[in-house]
Amino acid sequence: MPSDPTPALVLRALTKRFARPAVDSLDLTVRAGEFYALLGPNGAGKSTTLRMVAGLLPADSGEIHIFGIDARRQPIAAKRIVAWLPDEPQLYDKLDPLEYLEFVAGLWGLEPRRAAESAESLLQTLGLWEHRRERCEGFSRGMKQKVALAGALVHEPRLLMLDEPLTGLDAGSARQVKNLLTARVREGATIILTTHILEVAERIADRVGILAHGRLIAEGTLAELRVAGGGCASLEDLFLDLIAAEGRAA
Amino acid sequence: MSLRPGTFVSFVAHDLRLGARGFAAIFGALPARRVAAILVAALVGLHLVAWPAALWFGGHESGADGDRFLTAAMRSGVFFVLPWVVATAMTAVTRMLYQRGDLDLLFASPIFPRDALAARLFAQAIEAVASVGLLLLPLADACALQGRPHWLALYPALFACGLFGAGLGLMLALALFFAVGPRRARAISQIGATLVGASAVLGAQIVAMLPNSARTWLFDALAFNSGGDALRRLATLPERAAGGEPAALVGWMALALAMFVAAVLVFGGGFARAALQSAGAPSSPGRARTGTRFRARLGPTLRLKEHRLLWRDPWLLSQIMLQVLYTLPVGGILWRNGGATGTAGIAFAPTLVVIAGQLAGSLAWIALSAEDAPEFLATAPVTRGEIERGKLAAIALPVAAIMTPPLFALAFVSAWDAFCALGCGVGASLSAALLMLWRQKPARRGLVLRRHSQSKLVALLEHWLSLLWAVATGVAVFGSAACVVPIALVGLTLWLIRPAAPLGDLRSASAINANASPARADIEVRAG
Repeated sequence: MPSDPTPALVLRALTKRFARPAVDSLDLTVRAGEFYALLGPNGAGKSTTLRMVAGLLPADSGEIHIFGIDARRQPIAAKRIVAWLPDEPQLYDKLDPLEYLEFVAGLWGLEPRRAAESAESLLQTLGLWEHRRERCEGFSRGMKQKVALAGALVHEPRLLMLDEPLTGLDAGSARQVKNLLTARVREGATIILTTHILEVAERIADRVGILAHGRLIAEGTLAELRVAGGGCASLEDLFLDLIAAEGRAA
Repeated sequence: MSLRPGTFVSFVAHDLRLGARGFAAIFGALPARRVAAILVAALVGLHLVAWPAALWFGGHESGADGDRFLTAAMRSGVFFVLPWVVATAMTAVTRMLYQRGDLDLLFASPIFPRDALAARLFAQAIEAVASVGLLLLPLADACALQGRPHWLALYPALFACGLFGAGLGLMLALALFFAVGPRRARAISQIGATLVGASAVLGAQIVAMLPNSARTWLFDALAFNSGGDALRRLATLPERAAGGEPAALVGWMALALAMFVAAVLVFGGGFARAALQSAGAPSSPGRARTGTRFRARLGPTLRLKEHRLLWRDPWLLSQIMLQVLYTLPVGGILWRNGGATGTAGIAFAPTLVVIAGQLAGSLAWIALSAEDAPEFLATAPVTRGEIERGKLAAIALPVAAIMTPPLFALAFVSAWDAFCALGCGVGASLSAALLMLWRQKPARRGLVLRRHSQSKLVALLEHWLSLLWAVATGVAVFGSAACVVPIALVGLTLWLIRPAAPLGDLRSASAINANASPARADIEVRAG
């Protein structure tokens, strides 16, 4: 359960424009220890928002606070406690999973013994231990995704942002990943996840935020959203109704 | 007129179209009309250059030793072209097997894999001979225009050479694949193909190094023609065909076609099997090791990663070493010529400096522009400057390892020359690395030898800096203080091309896209 009174993430009037506004004066608060699902149609601004939080895109304006740290002013301090997992895993084909985790641990400056234990535990949990000496180039998409996830978790981030983390995973692997993520949340980590698989959000998220045209158009627990949506049966119905309404309004 | 889909001709047309588009990509965003104008101008230019060469050939052909000269010339040509075509075919077959591309689509379609292979190999043969044809065919045209039409036989002879070499290349690549297994075949075949391809260039350079007596002996050996037994007549078929002997031309074309068809028929099934085996197979075996090497410091972590990635990519390594290999014979010639005047270092030291600059440029490009996970690195709690410094430190080791032996050799001849080469080599390496640091452009690692086509300006600057360092070395070896002039010019050049944004902005980890290259900007746009 959340114990830290400082929110894990606070976005205030966050804005990013390309040819058109991708993120439009976005206000968002994610509580510490929360599993938060960020939903929205393609081009809604989900990935852009997460990339700005991760320090991959400079925001045009607005504020980003991660556990009270101003991420725009103190990016290094913020990155120390954040992990970001993109939808396309970024790995080194010529390294094996253990070498990849050694590299990540070095980047985050982890104490070697603690890093080794954490790496072994993650590889065991994700079913990669037998493959720890095989180069990633021969791995399936799902295995690469799991190696990347291990890389995101090995430094025990307080805020973990996952962009479509279940893409390419079979049912068994998806279950492993979901269990691992919920366990991390139980241990006090905060997770923000984007997904197109609404059932996943419905099943594991504490709260859901729905983005459209770079703005948050709905937010709350599933029960709260159902009430707001006039008693929609499922998150999928609610999501489609909200997006359709937003489309008509735009 | 559209071609019937699924036919041999349609597959060849498809592959040639892809090849042509790849070639056109070298010209960037230039309009098609301007590209066509450049190509026509290049073709005219090549013919103008070939004209005096054709006159020279004509002078020798009409001499008393004309026939022997023609035999030697054609035989040399075959020695040059055939290995090149074989190497290109081997590389293409290996690439087809491992990079797969549209191979899965082709194999999943209701066509025989053999047909797809034949078409691809045929297109490959055309592309391979086109590259050497650019040099040889203008010479044939010029000779024909000067009244020696038999030179036009080069056209069909070269085409036949392409077919023969492609067939042989396919056989060699697949034989290697089945001999050493899918895991090792890629690395060995790519290195082998690189060496075979390089042998032609190196051979020409080595010939240039030989003393006159040895060259005369070589000419006699090449021009030797007993003309007697059937085996010799078969072995000399390509050169006689290229020389315009009608019966030999027909025979060579028939033999080449037979080789191509036989290779496809016999090895077509093997290719399909190899493609299935190679699916998902790592390019080379991972080496089992014990213990872990977790470390908390950034510098050693980055160095280890860069060295592992480099060491485990033998093809990439061979491409980089090829630059050194190509330059060595030139260095040898310069050493020999310089040695005759008693000052070997005057020529050899600048060569070493140029090699150091090239190596550092290539390795810096790989480490900086061809980073496999740039966005992942950008999320790490370290500044971009720290990462870049770590990477540049990582490339210093291989450059030093490669340059140390020749520097030692030079030191035995002249300590001062070696000192100059060392100082200027360090300078050339640093300036090449800085250029790559300031002008990063994301690309794949495998494109290291084509990095100059990314930006003509960067290519020009890299050569310019190398030239300045080479001049500085030469002048320094003489002991002249004038060496500061080219070094000052290096400094001025670097000052002029330094990044416009303040270093603080560039170093800020959050501003990774502040100096966005077009590719990164593209990523930004797509990110929404």
